[in-house]
Amino acid sequence: MSRPPAAPTERTLRRLFLTLFLRGRTSRGTRKDSAPSSVGSKLLGTLAIYGLMGGLALMFVGQTVFALSVYLHGMTFVFIGMFVAASSGEVLFNKEEADILLHRPVTPRALLRAKVGVLVRVSLWLAGAFNAVGLVVGAFSAGAAVWYPLVHAVSTALEALFCTALVVVVYQLCLRWFGRERLDGVMTTAQVTIAVAVVLSGQLVPRMTRPLQGRPALRADAWWMGLLPPAWFAGFDDALAGSGVAASWLLAAAGLAATGSALWLAFGVLARDYGAGLQTLGESGSLPAERPGRRRLLHGLVQAPPLRWWLRDPVTRASFLLSAAYLARDRDVKLRVYPAIAPLLCMPLVFVLQDATHRSSTSNPGLGLAFAGSFLALVPAFGLSLLRYSQQWQASDLFRAAPLAGPAPLCHGARLASLLFLGLPLIVCLGGLFGVLQGDLSHLVFLLPGAIALPVLALIPCLGGNAVPFSLPGEEAKAASRGLSMFGMMMAAMALSGLVLAARAYGWFWWLIMAESMAALAIRAWLRARVATARWSSME
Amino acid sequence: MISLRQLTKSFGAQTAVDGLSFEVAAGQIVGFLGPNGAGKTTTLKMLTGMLEPSSGTATVCGFDLRREPIEIKRRVGLVPESGAVFESLTGLEYLEMVASLYGIPGDAALDRIKQFISFFDLGFGTLTDKLLGAYSKGMRRKVVITAALLHNPPVVFFDEPLDGLDANAAVGFKALIQTLAREGKTIVYSSHILDVVERVCDRVIIIDKGKLLVDGRPDELVAAGGAATLEGLFTQLTGGGEIARRAADFARTFRP
Repeated sequence: MSRPPAAPTERTLRRLFLTLFLRGRTSRGTRKDSAPSSVGSKLLGTLAIYGLMGGLALMFVGQTVFALSVYLHGMTFVFIGMFVAASSGEVLFNKEEADILLHRPVTPRALLRAKVGVLVRVSLWLAGAFNAVGLVVGAFSAGAAVWYPLVHAVSTALEALFCTALVVVVYQLCLRWFGRERLDGVMTTAQVTIAVAVVLSGQLVPRMTRPLQGRPALRADAWWMGLLPPAWFAGFDDALAGSGVAASWLLAAAGLAATGSALWLAFGVLARDYGAGLQTLGESGSLPAERPGRRRLLHGLVQAPPLRWWLRDPVTRASFLLSAAYLARDRDVKLRVYPAIAPLLCMPLVFVLQDATHRSSTSNPGLGLAFAGSFLALVPAFGLSLLRYSQQWQASDLFRAAPLAGPAPLCHGARLASLLFLGLPLIVCLGGLFGVLQGDLSHLVFLLPGAIALPVLALIPCLGGNAVPFSLPGEEAKAASRGLSMFGMMMAAMALSGLVLAARAYGWFWWLIMAESMAALAIRAWLRARVATARWSSME
Repeated sequence: MISLRQLTKSFGAQTAVDGLSFEVAAGQIVGFLGPNGAGKTTTLKMLTGMLEPSSGTATVCGFDLRREPIEIKRRVGLVPESGAVFESLTGLEYLEMVASLYGIPGDAALDRIKQFISFFDLGFGTLTDKLLGAYSKGMRRKVVITAALLHNPPVVFFDEPLDGLDANAAVGFKALIQTLAREGKTIVYSSHILDVVERVCDRVIIIDKGKLLVDGRPDELVAAGGAATLEGLFTQLTGGGEIARRAADFARTFRP
């Protein structure tokens, strides 16, 4: 059998990074055919569910091209933006990769292009799955041209390119402006900011464009549309396959200009900074020493009540300190946990703001707080499930080598860290914000159902001893399915807040609180007993 | 073949490599030694284009490190201390990927890979079926060494290459690098296993705190330093003279 000639470098790199993305970067498997295909199979599952979710576009049958496209691009922007923001840290800046590739005859620009190519390709798979139904619906929209599917496919590809290039530009600007020493912290902040901006933009655009009755317009009160990426790409669709009004052409031009500029900056102007960024990862000497004040604060917290009472068990205390330290210091963990949690805060924030600012007109005061409380109760559990992953997962063999009957104390330490550093501050901040905006603290009782559920929900990931911190390879937490987890959480939060509102409407609120408290105590005791009896699973 | 001129690398206020200058001729095996944190790995990373020097420069195979890093990368091989590989590729996928990066055609790459696996006693089935994540440390090290030599580079840098290799593989590897040097390849060998360095290397360079301490033939350096072995000379030069007494004192703390 004759083998092919040498592939050009960029093609080799693209194939490499796609394989690594689909298989994950680490493996404890033994054979190729039993390789950790979890990422690839998860991706297929995710694509199927995105395809089903895309069916919601059927609600737009008969509406205008702009109305449909705003919805499709808004949601696509959220999915792609979340995926790119959460995956790019690991794909673009992988520490081990420096030792493998940086001494090979490969330019930083070629590496960057190959990696971005993979991000764009997977983004397009996600976007394609979600938009499949919308493409058909669009062809039957009011005033749509028959070539709408083609135009929408092009605008979706542009959107994927824009999202990816934007993230690359933000990283490169961080490198250029903030220097190598602060790169980790700044990149994490940038990633969280992008994730929040993407979700807000994607969620808010369809709501904000409702008053325009499905048509873009050059109106003084609609100037903000020019700032929203989903509106640009919806304008592109409307200009070429819809009404073709002047406002659509302007939005389309803004989208093309923004995408072109982001690509030019990412690959033309700033690409050489990427090489410097990769080198930074290999420079152990450049890592800043831990600030002693921060360390003292953490150890001081553990030594003082109430943590001293909760963390009497030395293994639980050690696990708590480990989790807290990684939440504060480890780039990989920070890039995984905070960007994943940040978008969960957007909806509670929107509801709380609505509650606080429309207090006179709303018929359900406290609706937002009830929703926010239920939503935030899920945050520690979600955070805890993400704390299981780390690039240094093999170091967790230490736990199995230690004389511990099971993983329970380790799970409890991580759970307490997640409750204290992820759940509690968010509830306090949101309650404080509501109090400041409304001045009436009586509605804060609507946070109670969520607050009571919070410690119970945080025990669920510990079942079976499955919340041992940093014990699984980072790839198994691939970001493509994160949008779906968020969707499921949203549904659960809505169910709980619906229950709260119904109880309030029938005057059973305090009965509900009492019943929930008792149920929470009983379930918590049962869960703790189950977790305590968990034993180490077989190490494959 | 390799020429360093005041090569310096600083990380903030910390200077890892401090004005290092030396030359290495073709066909030499140079032992590059120093205690932990002396700047060895940083120097190797600079010479392979992985890190940009803060000041000074170097040439490898006549190419300037700052102006022509890609030309240098084409001509050097590196076995990094970390032994990092892409664990979710099979050994063959990994080596074929590396071959592609150097523009080696598929047929030639496969022939070359077969020569290496035969030398290292690796089964071809292992290479095609097993993911690198499932390889033992020694097998993975053999793949990393193969990946460094696959493109037949005139200059090879080894950073702790024997780490994980069993005794037979280590003996074979030492014979391999001596033969490579006789055929004109330049080899820079960084290791903490000093008796191997003493036996294999024509010349030894010892650095500490980023500065060059001594440079010469191992037997001449040992004689000039009044030491019995290279290990003795090394501890004498790098402040390890008290280590035996400190170890004995420490061991006594384990008494029940």
